[in-house]
Amino acid sequence: MTTTMDPRIPPSRQREKPGQDLKWIGKGIRRVEDPRLLTGRGKYVDDVVLPNSLHAAALGSPHAHARIKSIDVSKARALPGVAAVLTGEDVAKSTGPLPCFSNPPTEQRCVAIDRVRHVGEPVAIVAAESRYVAEDALALIEVEYEELPVVMDAAEAVHATGDAVIHPERGETNVAIHRVFEFGDVDDDFAAADAVIKRKLRWPRSGAQPMETCGATAVFDEGEGKFTIHVNSSMYNYVGWLIAVTLGVPVHKLNLVPTLAGGSFGSKLFIHKVPVIAAVLARECGRPVKYLEDRIDNMTACDHHGSDRIYDCELALDADRRMTSMKCTVIDDYGAYFQFGIGHHGNALSQITGPYQIGSVKVDITAVFTNKCQQGAYRGFGSEVSNYVMERMVDAACAELDLDPVAFRKTNFIQPDQFPYFIPTGNLYDSGNYPAVLDKALDLLDYDGWRQKQKDALAEGRYIGIGLATCQERSVFSSTEFWSLNDEAGFALTSSPEGVSIKIDPTGNAVVSLQAPFWGNSPETMATMVLAEKLTIDPANISITYADTDHGVSGTGPGGSRYTVMLAGAIVGAVDTIKDKLFKIAGHLMEADTADLELRDGAVGLKGVPGKEMTIADLAMQAHFFRLSFPDEPGFDTGLDATTTYDHPLTTMPSEDRKDLGIYYPIMGHMCHMPVVEVDIKTGQVKFLDYVAVHDCGTMVNPKTLAGHIRGGTAQGIGTALYEEYKYDANGQLQNASFMDYLVPTAHEIPANMRIGHVETPSPFTEYGIKGGGEGGRMGAPPALAAAIEDALKPLGVKADFLPLTPAKLRGLIREAEAS
Amino acid sequence: MAKMPVSITVNGQRYEREVDPRLLLSDFIRHEIGLTGTHVGCENGACGVCAVLINGKTGLSCLAFAVQCDGDEIETIESLGTPSDLHPIQEAFWENHGLQCGFCTPAMVLTAHELLSRNASPSRAEIIEAIGGNLCRCTGYQTIVDSIEQAAEQMRAGKEEAA
Amino acid sequence: MKPSAFEYVRATSVDDAISALSQHGDEARLLAGGQSLIAMMNTRLAEPKVLVDIGRLSDLSYIRVDGDALSIGALTTHNTVLQSAEVAAHCPLVSAAYANVAHHTVRNRGTLGGNLCHNDPASEMPLVASLLDAELVLRGSGGERRVAAEDFFVDTFHTAAHADEILTEIRFARQGAGEGWAFEVVSQLKGDYAIVAAGCRFAMVDGVCRGVRLGFVGAGPAIKRVAAAETALEGQPVNGATIAAVAEAAVGAVDPHADMHADVQYKLDLVQALSERVLKQAASRAV
Repeated sequence: MTTTMDPRIPPSRQREKPGQDLKWIGKGIRRVEDPRLLTGRGKYVDDVVLPNSLHAAALGSPHAHARIKSIDVSKARALPGVAAVLTGEDVAKSTGPLPCFSNPPTEQRCVAIDRVRHVGEPVAIVAAESRYVAEDALALIEVEYEELPVVMDAAEAVHATGDAVIHPERGETNVAIHRVFEFGDVDDDFAAADAVIKRKLRWPRSGAQPMETCGATAVFDEGEGKFTIHVNSSMYNYVGWLIAVTLGVPVHKLNLVPTLAGGSFGSKLFIHKVPVIAAVLARECGRPVKYLEDRIDNMTACDHHGSDRIYDCELALDADRRMTSMKCTVIDDYGAYFQFGIGHHGNALSQITGPYQIGSVKVDITAVFTNKCQQGAYRGFGSEVSNYVMERMVDAACAELDLDPVAFRKTNFIQPDQFPYFIPTGNLYDSGNYPAVLDKALDLLDYDGWRQKQKDALAEGRYIGIGLATCQERSVFSSTEFWSLNDEAGFALTSSPEGVSIKIDPTGNAVVSLQAPFWGNSPETMATMVLAEKLTIDPANISITYADTDHGVSGTGPGGSRYTVMLAGAIVGAVDTIKDKLFKIAGHLMEADTADLELRDGAVGLKGVPGKEMTIADLAMQAHFFRLSFPDEPGFDTGLDATTTYDHPLTTMPSEDRKDLGIYYPIMGHMCHMPVVEVDIKTGQVKFLDYVAVHDCGTMVNPKTLAGHIRGGTAQGIGTALYEEYKYDANGQLQNASFMDYLVPTAHEIPANMRIGHVETPSPFTEYGIKGGGEGGRMGAPPALAAAIEDALKPLGVKADFLPLTPAKLRGLIREAEAS
Repeated sequence: MAKMPVSITVNGQRYEREVDPRLLLSDFIRHEIGLTGTHVGCENGACGVCAVLINGKTGLSCLAFAVQCDGDEIETIESLGTPSDLHPIQEAFWENHGLQCGFCTPAMVLTAHELLSRNASPSRAEIIEAIGGNLCRCTGYQTIVDSIEQAAEQMRAGKEEAA
Repeated sequence: MKPSAFEYVRATSVDDAISALSQHGDEARLLAGGQSLIAMMNTRLAEPKVLVDIGRLSDLSYIRVDGDALSIGALTTHNTVLQSAEVAAHCPLVSAAYANVAHHTVRNRGTLGGNLCHNDPASEMPLVASLLDAELVLRGSGGERRVAAEDFFVDTFHTAAHADEILTEIRFARQGAGEGWAFEVVSQLKGDYAIVAAGCRFAMVDGVCRGVRLGFVGAGPAIKRVAAAETALEGQPVNGATIAAVAEAAVGAVDPHADMHADVQYKLDLVQALSERVLKQAASRAV
């Protein structure tokens, strides 16, 4: 690999090379996390029970956009069992705005002060002896609103003026940001094009909707002037300190304690409103307060709705049917606040041209405010949308130019010998083998066989379609993603580290402290496998804990499919430190040169001399209790532990003019999804006949858990493609704020036997060559399903340019096609 | 409203409490007797996460009042296996990666338990029908169906061995 | 999401329940399986002051053949009905429709009577009761009366039962041997409420349909059976022409409303498509 030849590419910091003979990495071992979860012993946020606790509830605004003229909480306060009722003004006396990562920020309060901007935004909060009483109190709060014009349509929002402007302090417009990014000579490439394909595409607003909502239990210790908040949030060891800023206490006067999270999929990336509400009430009441969103709170006000975009795209092709350039104009409906700016588009730009050799690209981004819950993170963080767009454009090109979708992709793929490969935006793809992934999928599916079955079925009047999507899964974000698209960079951070602490106890067991929570991924299993591999100890001798902010070091946590890669880096570094000390001790006791020692099977042994070794357990006992056995040098000081921080393995700065975004999402995975569906043209219902997904996530740590991510992500992608959408009416009411109407697929709706394949193209930059794989399913299924449905309905000439393709909507398309 | 006495047997132990009539069974289990293995996902009867066994049959504990269950026998996930001595169903979920975040898992396991107690050899379709009301946002369900299928096999084999 | 406070009365007999209802009037609601009511109470869409729990009246849980009728006690759970061999034998339409009602765990506690009294416009069972000429047996302080299904389902969430009355029994007409019947549902997720469902039954006498019952869920707030469509088939054979005529009559007679999941035209398309499907299927079953 010639990674150091290009001066734009920093040298690889990979210490553990791929392709070693490994004992644990690559094995589908059962998860370490599971026994307690299977038996109901896992402690989630609502399982934190502190004596004398109060329970909170929030009164959500019934209006999408209104001024709060007055609030009368007297009846609520008088209700027996109520400890506190606070309005936005009450809260603001001690507490500032919520953390916001956009620049300039939008001012969002945990309880609105003078204006509400979406249905469900809290206007008052209550702490009472039980959640039942707290909700009784909510019903007694009297709020007088002056309704303001409601802005719901993203395209119209651009033109809003006067009272329809949602954040007047940012200027007389609902355009949060408008920027055009151009990489390469787009105009030239289009002028030279032999064919130009145009499409308008619509990606709907859906959301993660984990089975557990967000929650927090807060305690304020008046004696110490310190908050302790138990919360199911991530990123607490990264940006959790901002909660202290909001609460108006010094950062060291807040301890955030993680709990297990019952799913996140991004939506618990950084929970701010919920812990602040609990903390404000705890400080007011002098008692612990638990605030747990109910499902309505979560659906209307979780601050983590997914992307909501309207695209206008053009794709240029040359006479050889190679894609040369792409132009996209996108309006993105960000809702009422703007916590991450347009970071989602930074994410998308890291792989905007997909797995293809496309020389230039132009993206015109308009982010608008509307009276909806704000966007946050949901599995893909904006790149799932650009995958959909890229693949829809490829399919459109194939349809209009009568090209074979398989051959066309193969022609346009970045070839295996072209890596590392810079795409026009300046991001680097570290490695890949896209033809291998596609071939494996075609083979697994029996593509030719299904094409024949499709023909036979059509002769019987049945509409079968075979979908194909070949997509990227960028992994391991660098924090430049958060600000590089801003007009003014703002807080231009460049660190996104992951730390770990490992302590070897006197009997040789390891305790690993993670800096980020469990949120449904497998951090304990990953840590255990990598540590067992590297230190050659048995997984049974490893236990995992989660460091709170008092005891933690730096840790960014899961997100952007980064955690396994980053944690492996941290563990490799920590074990190297521990290993050095073990070798020093062993070398002294065995009278051997440390250079002649090696780790083998839980012991330090003399290379080439079987039987000449000391176990890690014996050495640990020496390290902890027998200081006088060793020289009086610092390297022999008591204890056996290490705390290590691993920085992003491969990132560079963007250029000032943003013609080059730098390397910021380079650990590049790839996938091929191939669903086979049957469409009932009379009812618009879609049924799965088959489904194959092949992923390349570099070196696999655990095939079992990786397949779990792929299947689960695919189920969510199926939801996005066929069922899920937050449906706001023209007045800004969220009509489907329950699982009765927000339709999460059940066991009936997913493929009965989805088959998974793997290709392993290791990263030259990460430990062992691991790449991220947490988001892939949801980043590939939507375009694959759109393609399958369009393929099924090809005889009718149906184009599927929006999601979700619900039965009613799909039947509508079929009806139109039949009529024409 | 005045509190009412209830006597509810949970996992073989009788609990006598004075409760508000409106106290949901889910809150009784979690808060009154402190068994937090039963989770709550929507309180609307639409996600299945809070299912427990009520007199041997699955029921949503968010759609029952504790007072309604006076005299009933409830089983929660805590009655099945322990981390060091898993029930065969739990063992199969572990082996087949039938869980990720674990939040829906107690209800899934109990639903499987009820299914296998009335049908020792369910087809995959019957398994899907049984868990059709239990939402899982992590797994995509296929490995849950695999888990229940394998648990059924092993429980049948276990019975044959015992016989 | 917690319910408002209420007074709880556990009825020990039907008469006990009737007297509780009489005492509390409109403030009281009956609690059977609670699978719809408690969900509404948790969101405070329903805030009854008094709940009269009839869930323990086990003498209202039974399935028995009673002459030409199949009598089912109102508190028989959905799963009991679904799994009943007697129901499958005498009223297969009920079993078929039940396969699409909710999910297993909800069916364990939800009751047939509770479902019918709730009269959710998207629920399958009121239609099934109409198609099977069911009589609903109501008991109240004024004694017992029987109401035909056609008269019982008045409007969305509204039935002919008086505030002090309890539905005690549902008497379905037993389906004749060799009868043609079918039931089809379109919902987005299986077990969800129907967008549109269709059911039909008829006797095939000398090659033509007699006693036609044909109706829909989702065809309009108070619409179950559709007379125009039934008339179009009565006395006719099932063939391409009559199927088209019936479907056309049905589409012309229904009055579906748009909702967040489906527009009117889609529901009309489903009325059309499901009319055709149930007729074909029913004809294939008829002997």
